[in-house]
Amino acid sequence: MATTTATVSISSSDLMPGSPLNISASSTLMKTGITTGMELMEMGNHSIATGTEFALSLAKGDVNGAHWLYIANTSTDSTYYIEWGYHDTMIGPLYSGDWMFVPWNNAVADDSEIEVEAKIGTNTFEYAIFKGGSWTLATAGA
Amino acid sequence: MATTTATINIGSDILSNSTTISNTMTISKSANPSVGLDETTGLRTKKFTTTTDAVIVEADELTSSGGAEAHKVYIRNASTNKANFFYVSYNASTADATTTEPIGKLYGGDWMLMPYNGGTNISVASSTASETQYLEYMVFADGIVAAKG
Repeated sequence: MATTTATVSISSSDLMPGSPLNISASSTLMKTGITTGMELMEMGNHSIATGTEFALSLAKGDVNGAHWLYIANTSTDSTYYIEWGYHDTMIGPLYSGDWMFVPWNNAVADDSEIEVEAKIGTNTFEYAIFKGGSWTLATAGA
Repeated sequence: MATTTATINIGSDILSNSTTISNTMTISKSANPSVGLDETTGLRTKKFTTTTDAVIVEADELTSSGGAEAHKVYIRNASTNKANFFYVSYNASTADATTTEPIGKLYGGDWMLMPYNGGTNISVASSTASETQYLEYMVFADGIVAAKG
């Protein structure tokens, strides 16, 4: 069994004046069965032009999977950003230099397909998917 | 202007060669990426004793126009039991496995940090009513509506 750990530290001395912020958290990522660590992963690095959508991985009908997704926008122009979301619903912008880490349920067929779209500029981004359930290999990208 | 940094480290031995991901970002405004976000909802803790859906991030409290706002949402299941979890959804009021736009499940100790456009609420639901669960969450806001918050 493999062990995958994810830690985060968020800090600010002046976001809340008088109350320095220090958040630290660590988690060992487990498959849906809870006692088994992740055994599959996929990593990639892509570049997409303004207005282009990219499906990070296609939904497989893997009901109630406990997957994890990491994306980092590695573009260097600070005005560039991509939007991420599920299928056609965009959830938020990931600006150059930003990263995100979220669980991925992948329970609702096509509606669970994770997409990114370049909104300004040709963005480069890298991603890692840690797969917590059964998985069918398929070609990513659409 | 405030300076807030977030660092992630992921280590894994899934592959025969160990994988390490390390990255640090400065949480910044969308309109001016050189300026840090200076508003927050504060760090909150909520106790759940039922499986009733709950809205933890109210979209109407945050500025939103065109989806470019660079809000960030941090959520952690502060419970220790890996058997229980929270559904987290980008949805006006509900969260479960088949809700439209279910983001995913946070088991005991799991955390997430995501960019958020403030277009729709973030809703959650505990998987269990037989064991109390606690959720921690915080919004780093790229603008809070003047009459809210």
